[in-house]
Amino acid sequence: MSVLGSGIFKGMAVTLKNFVGSYFDKERLTTNEYAWQANDKLPERAGDYPKEEAEQLSDTTTVTQYSRNFPMLLHDAGEPMDTVRCVACQICERECPPQCIYIEKSTEKKERSGNKAQFYPATFDIDVSVCMSCQICVEVCPFDAIVMNSQFELSTPSRFGELLLRRDDLLKSNDYYYKIHPEEASARDKRIADEKAAKEAKKKAAEAAKKKAAEAKSKSEAEAKAKEEAEAASKPTEPSDTPPAESTATPSTEPPATPTTEPEKEGSAE
Amino acid sequence: MNEVTAFWMLAAISVLGALIAVRKRNLVHGVFALLVFFVGLAGLFLLLLAEFIAVVQILVYAGAVGILILFAIMLTDRVTGRDAFRVTSRGSFWGALISLAVFLVILLPTIQDIPTIENPTPKETIVETSTVKQLGIHLIKPYIITIEILALLLTAALVGAVTAAQGGRASENEENNK
Amino acid sequence: MTLDLIKDILLATVPLLIIFPTMFALTTWVERKALARIQNRIGPNKVGVPLTPYGGKLSLFGLGQPAADGIKMLFKENIVPTGADRLFHFLAPILSLIPSMLVLCFLPLDFPWLNGEQNSVKAFMLDGAVIFFFAITGLNTLAVFMAGWASRNKYSLLGGMRAIAQMVSYEIPLVLSAVVVVMIVGSLNADNIAKAQEGWNWFVFQPWGLAAFVIFFIGALAETNRSPFDLPEAESEIIAGYFTEYSGFKFALFFLGEYIAMFAISGLAVTLFLGAGAGPGVESLSWLKIFWFLTKVCILIGVMIWLRGTLPRLRVDQLMGFAWKFLLPLSILNIFVAGFAWHIKDANKETATSVVVWIASIIILYAAAKGLDRVNRAKVKPRTYQYGE
Ligand code: SF4
Ligand code: SF4
Repeated sequence: MSVLGSGIFKGMAVTLKNFVGSYFDKERLTTNEYAWQANDKLPERAGDYPKEEAEQLSDTTTVTQYSRNFPMLLHDAGEPMDTVRCVACQICERECPPQCIYIEKSTEKKERSGNKAQFYPATFDIDVSVCMSCQICVEVCPFDAIVMNSQFELSTPSRFGELLLRRDDLLKSNDYYYKIHPEEASARDKRIADEKAAKEAKKKAAEAAKKKAAEAKSKSEAEAKAKEEAEAASKPTEPSDTPPAESTATPSTEPPATPTTEPEKEGSAE
Repeated sequence: MNEVTAFWMLAAISVLGALIAVRKRNLVHGVFALLVFFVGLAGLFLLLLAEFIAVVQILVYAGAVGILILFAIMLTDRVTGRDAFRVTSRGSFWGALISLAVFLVILLPTIQDIPTIENPTPKETIVETSTVKQLGIHLIKPYIITIEILALLLTAALVGAVTAAQGGRASENEENNK
Repeated sequence: MTLDLIKDILLATVPLLIIFPTMFALTTWVERKALARIQNRIGPNKVGVPLTPYGGKLSLFGLGQPAADGIKMLFKENIVPTGADRLFHFLAPILSLIPSMLVLCFLPLDFPWLNGEQNSVKAFMLDGAVIFFFAITGLNTLAVFMAGWASRNKYSLLGGMRAIAQMVSYEIPLVLSAVVVVMIVGSLNADNIAKAQEGWNWFVFQPWGLAAFVIFFIGALAETNRSPFDLPEAESEIIAGYFTEYSGFKFALFFLGEYIAMFAISGLAVTLFLGAGAGPGVESLSWLKIFWFLTKVCILIGVMIWLRGTLPRLRVDQLMGFAWKFLLPLSILNIFVAGFAWHIKDANKETATSVVVWIASIIILYAAAKGLDRVNRAKVKPRTYQYGE
């Protein structure tokens, strides 16, 4: 039997420990001094925030690698627009809860970093005054093209305009990503490599299987036909056997109906 | 700044509040005007050194009744305050007549008691010090039966209201469960 | 004559108008600092007092923050939504500040040194100070509703409705717990209540006083929309509740009103239960009374901040259930316990009896609270999570 209100006192003890501890235990306070001050380089006026990658590094590497702020677009090594990963599929635009992404697809396809020709974003704007840093765009992107930046020095003197980040402001190299979020970046690249390897392995297996399947096809088709005929022959007797049970069984007949459509879908996708 | 000035100011506020409460077509505005009237009245009581009545006026009328009315309005579709409530002028003449009559009936005995030069003291002696203590003693001693009956009545009303509300809810729930 | 009156009015009100807003400014800073430390952050530490126009400043752990906040608030744009009811939108913040400021006058704070003589000045000398206090703080609810309604925003309206429901519910245990003290002292006058607790006879040291104090404090938290009862401004659910559509100076007024209400209700708690100005050394130095009073108020505010850093917000149904099913029965029982304890003590003045009464009432109250807790918990099942874990 616990003492009434002991939970509250326990909680208060925890917060008290944190409160007092933060004055004596330097380990607890993980906050860094303000980044600009650390580099002794205060901006002359609001709006002088860096847009270039090299400049942003002085900013973003001062915060912990797990921090995130607003999205950025990844490109691989080389000219940004030649290696940009985004294919302007507009999934993120649709998923973004506050609708702060605006994408315009390019008119023609273009080949990038050895992949097959795809569209690329002619315009890609993110209104960071609206973005709520939810990272949903990152989650939904099938091409690992959009990730979170951790740049925080974004104040501008104007209310509109400068907070609208354009495509060229958003483009950041994969190297930069490695520098600001080392763990996340390597995990992501490993996953991409794994997926690629798995895909290739699957492709090979599929090719091998195709040959086999072609041989087996004629055989199995004949078998299936025979089976169907046999089933059709046996079916008419079933309902007449159990007429009273049918009314109770009606709800249970529905679920089996759906699986029959699924194999079809899979078949059509392949 | 003496009592007379204060009286006229408070009276003006109260009357204005009451008039607006009656004439305003926006219901929420009307309620707040009514509250102004209540508070003005409390001020008048305070001016008469009837502290306790003043405080009860604020506590019960401005606090409880005002909020009750607001709750009632919230349950209607007039919440928006946009579609103004249409006050029909039908029967306003008779309404005015009846309220005037009630007003006079209340006013007349009071007028008769106003001290004049020939008759300087009011007929009945008012309790000299209207402190809370005195009021409490009066409520508990001579008027105890009245208070108890009122309390019983209110409790019965409360229980009835809860039962009525719950009865409807329970049957609904049963229906939903089916 | 008139000059004297004006002098008296100023002497009675100006100290209140200086002390409490100053405390407000400091409290916002202390609160931010304390919450930050509880979460192992540093908190505001940059804004200081500039020494010269060309740089150089006294940092003082960010003590300049309240001033900076105030200036920022003053110069911010005043945004009124198009659909808003302009008059009420304008009136609501003012109306929320007035009752909080007004009730400060009912606290037993007198400033003996101000008019030279020994007789002190007070803004109000009312017999029903305690009940006046409750009546006038009740008006705060209307301001909150007004703000919610006038903004013409669903979140604001929801916040306003929540505020009304919560304040109306918690006012009852709040008043009932204060009734105990009023009953024992036999007066509604704050000065008499303070006098009854002189020395170390604080009511909080009595079992019924302790129970009443706890109920009162919980009610006070709810009444001033403090965490864990800050549902009317639950930012994770309804943005900012009733002041969603407020900005700039109007928002600052709401903020000020809320904090002043906190001070006022803590002041009342100190008056009713914590011995008002009682403390060591008050017999010789009368101004120490004010010092002790304000110190106790600050301690209560500190506990409020501490609780805010500790407890998560309640759900609406939990909030209502707690007020009606736990606090209300307990506070009614407490009135009975206090009455009996007082009668027995009155009849029999021996120390042994009072000790027995003391222990018996503690047991009764604790058992009742525990039983109520049991009954209320009967239906609560452990939570199951669909996606978590
Ligand atoms: S960032 Fe990703 S999801 Fe968004 S358009 Fe580009 S490829 Fe599609
Ligand atoms: S982080 Fe969220 S809000 Fe921001 S762009 Fe991505 S999806 Fe939109």
